Amino acid sequence: MELLTWSGAMGGFLNPILLVAVVAFALAFAANFVLTLAGIQPGEMQINPDHTLTLQRTPSDYALMAMKYAVLLAVACCCAYVIGGLVMPSADARGIIGGMASRLLPVWIGLVVVFAVSITFKRRLGLYGKLFDSPIGMVGFALVMFWVFAALFADMVATHGAIDVFSQMRNEVPGSPVPVAREDAYPYYLLGGDNLGRDVFSRMIYGARDVLQITPVATLFAFMVGVTLGLPAGYFGGKLDTSITFIANLALAFPVILLFFLLVTPEIVAAGIPQYMSLVLFIFPIVFFVVLFNSRFHTQPMKRNLFVAITLVVGGISYLSLISDASNQDLPLIFRLWPEALDLFDVPGNILIVFVSVVFVNSPTVFRIVRGIVLDIKTRDYVAAGQTRGEGPWYIMLWEILPNARGPLIVDFCLRIGYTTILLGTLGFFGLGVSPESPDWGSTINEGRRLLTIYPHPAIPPALALMSLVLGLNLLADGLREESLKD
Amino acid sequence: MADATPYDGPILEIDKLSISFFTRLREIPAVMDFSVSVRPGEAVGLVGESGCGKSTVALGVMQDLGVNGRVVGGSIKFKGQDLSTLNEEELRDIRGSQIAMIYQEPMASLNPAMKIGKQLAEVPMIHEGITEQEATKRARQVIEDVKLPDPDRILKAYPHQLSGGQQQRIVIAMALMSKPALLILDEPTTALDVTVEASIVELVKDLGKKYGTSMLFISHNLGLVLETCDRICVMYSGEAVERGSIEDVFDTMQHPYTQALFRSIPLPGANKTDRPLVAIPGNFPLPHERPNGCNFGPRCDYFEAGRCDAGPIMMAQVPGNDRHATRCLKFQEIDWHAPIAAAVKQEKSTVGDVVLKVDNLKKYYEVSANKMFGGSATKVVKANETVSFEARESETLAIVGESGCGKSTLAKVLMGLETATEGSVLLDNKSIEQVEIQNRDTKTISSIQMVFQNPFDTLNPSMTVGRQIIRALEVFKIGADDAARRTRMLELLDLVKLPRAFADRMPRQLSGGQKQRVGIARAFAGGARIVVADEPVSALDVSVQAAVTDLLMEIQRTEKTTLLFISHDLSIVRYLSDRVMVMYLGHVVEIGTTDQVFSPPYHPYTEALLSAVPIADTSVQKKRIVLEGDIPSAMNPPSGCPFQTRCRWKTEVPGNLCDTEVPPMRTLAAGHQVKCHLAEDILMGMEPVIKTAAE
Repeated sequence: MELLTWSGAMGGFLNPILLVAVVAFALAFAANFVLTLAGIQPGEMQINPDHTLTLQRTPSDYALMAMKYAVLLAVACCCAYVIGGLVMPSADARGIIGGMASRLLPVWIGLVVVFAVSITFKRRLGLYGKLFDSPIGMVGFALVMFWVFAALFADMVATHGAIDVFSQMRNEVPGSPVPVAREDAYPYYLLGGDNLGRDVFSRMIYGARDVLQITPVATLFAFMVGVTLGLPAGYFGGKLDTSITFIANLALAFPVILLFFLLVTPEIVAAGIPQYMSLVLFIFPIVFFVVLFNSRFHTQPMKRNLFVAITLVVGGISYLSLISDASNQDLPLIFRLWPEALDLFDVPGNILIVFVSVVFVNSPTVFRIVRGIVLDIKTRDYVAAGQTRGEGPWYIMLWEILPNARGPLIVDFCLRIGYTTILLGTLGFFGLGVSPESPDWGSTINEGRRLLTIYPHPAIPPALALMSLVLGLNLLADGLREESLKD
Repeated sequence: MADATPYDGPILEIDKLSISFFTRLREIPAVMDFSVSVRPGEAVGLVGESGCGKSTVALGVMQDLGVNGRVVGGSIKFKGQDLSTLNEEELRDIRGSQIAMIYQEPMASLNPAMKIGKQLAEVPMIHEGITEQEATKRARQVIEDVKLPDPDRILKAYPHQLSGGQQQRIVIAMALMSKPALLILDEPTTALDVTVEASIVELVKDLGKKYGTSMLFISHNLGLVLETCDRICVMYSGEAVERGSIEDVFDTMQHPYTQALFRSIPLPGANKTDRPLVAIPGNFPLPHERPNGCNFGPRCDYFEAGRCDAGPIMMAQVPGNDRHATRCLKFQEIDWHAPIAAAVKQEKSTVGDVVLKVDNLKKYYEVSANKMFGGSATKVVKANETVSFEARESETLAIVGESGCGKSTLAKVLMGLETATEGSVLLDNKSIEQVEIQNRDTKTISSIQMVFQNPFDTLNPSMTVGRQIIRALEVFKIGADDAARRTRMLELLDLVKLPRAFADRMPRQLSGGQKQRVGIARAFAGGARIVVADEPVSALDVSVQAAVTDLLMEIQRTEKTTLLFISHDLSIVRYLSDRVMVMYLGHVVEIGTTDQVFSPPYHPYTEALLSAVPIADTSVQKKRIVLEGDIPSAMNPPSGCPFQTRCRWKTEVPGNLCDTEVPPMRTLAAGHQVKCHLAEDILMGMEPVIKTAAE
């Protein structure tokens, strides 16, 4: 079997078109730049007395138009590669890009379904629906959902297992055929093999799963902590505010890398420091929800008791399962008290470290944002109305102030997932985060780094994946911000 | 300017101007077929409710309509020159030197990072290219012209070091630096207190005369326009509906909207029992939902189907009057002197027992420079000093005073958000002044409730209207279950005359007046016996004001509520209150029935306050009393009488009594008390401030 080409059978036809599009864009861009320097402005809209509009075109307009069509042409080419990949019969004809596109079929179907449903019902979906009015938001959402679906359908998309090794495939270039060992195995390494002979494409897809499992949850915890501290600091002010702000400043000033190294130092792990930190950390959501329900329903004790009981039972069991591991004899006694039979799941120690560091790094910033918004909102009349009605401070914080702070918080959440993804990469890069074989993008980039000058292909795909996810999150946040300001 | 050639024609001539804003969805016409001309030295008032397009006209004159706005028809001529033919550079030359604009918010018009002197000097330096020294000299001169004390200190001050009134004077000074031919004032006094407003208006009038500047005065306050302008143009929903001289429009109005506007504002003589206000029915049409034909048609008493909604209506000249035009087809058929038909007389409600008794209440705040380490320099802000009054059942007690007089602090102490430093507050003979709201029982909390000032702030934007009222019911332990509370909530919506469907709406879908109604419903949720209304209508448009005021009065009559009506607007206070309490710097300076307070003898501060309120009635003659200076800081109040620094009667008091001693509360007549040193005969000899010319 031969090496796959990037574009397969479509290449002969599509590659020249793509080239033309790129060249046309470059020329138009240069022309526009020169025209702008020469002082030629784009044409202005003229209004006629009969309320119709006329547009007078200048050369600058034509340059802009050329740029637009060149971009459209390039996008069309990319679509053609993908669709070609889906319809071409053989792996040879599909090429590498087409091959990946055909493997990603479940992802495409998922994206099409989500977009079709959302756009149909967008008027009834609130802020989420309004996202589909903003092109930037839609692009961002598509990028994020691409990786979400890739993680979801990773078993269908990936061509090989994340740690399947073909020793002959070590550092092989993209499109290399696999020496036939098993009948059912995919015959190519689409993006080549890494230095241990594992499939780079499959590891990237499985890496999405790792990244998307950890980062949103870790960010959510950082938000819980930041919100729970920021609300009272802003609302009560005074000494409480001064002291919490001081601690937040201390945390912000602490060198992050040093913290990471400290957290994985054997002595510290042996002393159970990450465990104790998680003991404190994971109690926040339970406290948060109990206070939330109590403040809202204290006027109706029946309802309140029900909600608080549900929170305590569900939250309590998850909390105890999370922090305890009776089978691990190295842990201090209090972490082994919860019986194994009721222990629903165990979280590996290094994941705990990831959580602790993400919360430590992010929550001071979230705290500051929340505190600032609270300082603004607490002067509003509806807060005063709540006070004169005799509402408790926590009701006002959680039900009057927090819902009205949601706009900036949602946007910040999206951005912060992006930072956390990079942080996870950084952690993996230092070898601190998840297990060494883990396919998460940070670790993969770190492994690929060693032979980067000779074999760049194992490191580049996860880097591009990380970039596109963070870009998608940033665009999504931009779109959300833009749309939430309207109306 | 020196190079300005003599020009006799109108300074500004707007002819059939139409301005539209273009959005992604549609074209929104903001101004349609608008014509006005301003002659040299003339002041023209532009009046209308919010959203009627008056500010858009001003921006159109400045050719500053933003990216979406475009002039789609007509012309704007400044000194005979069409402004739309000028390019950016020529416009920049005109703006600030020939046409100057004064905005509503003085702090937002000044650069906070630049000293006043430098900001002022910039204007002639840019437009006339004079040296900095000369420009600074001129800045000093102009600061003197706007009657600011100590010009040298002000030149070196930053904007935040000046009070709101002083800032607005600086903005006016800046507008006058280049001696413009046209001055556009966009609600220049809305953000200021009444007495400050009066002095600014006085100043603008004087300067207009001195410099011969033409003025375009934009305001929603008819009284202000009467005081400042020669001619008036009334706008409604993007169109000028009536245009003419002040006398013609105020006395012989020729458009139903103008008439309805005048009937909905409280003029002297209007009274909640004998001559109630007439609110304009319906709502202001949205710009893209304007009716065919007359825009005011659907709300007009004289509407005639098939005629008024047939097609566009042009301005028609009113015969006999000079330059008086109206946009009404039927103006010659309507009997403009017919008495108000809708006015229903109300039974005067009987006042019951004392519900609330405040005695010798004091509230001091301690302000220390450094909170964390408890610095030694602790200052005391005396927000309330010896406040005493009683309020009876189904009585309206108005609390009047300017910002900083302590009326909001008083409200906070009553509500339990603050505790009193000294004195007592008795609710049904139960002392509550030291009980914070957390420790009050549900009954006490629900019997004192509050209606807030800002309609856009009073409701939580992320909760439905119904949910917010139900929450109040839940907290006040009313209704056995959710269903009962929902029924009660719907009843409350009926009470404030809102459709029941509003229960599921979000606050952003409601207009300002509707939100204020929900706020009232929420306050009455627990069967409140005392309602503290903190300027409940001051942020609303005139026509809505009347409706909300009437609603409050009506609920008061049925529920026998005691209303503490906090306001700075004396017209509305005179209209609806039974008794009035005037506050200044934390002191109650005068208290009595409405008639007693509004007629002599006055406390000198009340006298000044009455004179400052603009009244939209040409037959009313007012005595001008302009207070000098600003309200002293409550952190450093003057010795003796709090008002002595600004009092014009101070010389009539023998010795330096005013400087040294706080005057005692003196009873002049039954229930009428004044805190003043003036001798009895001087007080009795005071002339009334407001006189209605005999008709």
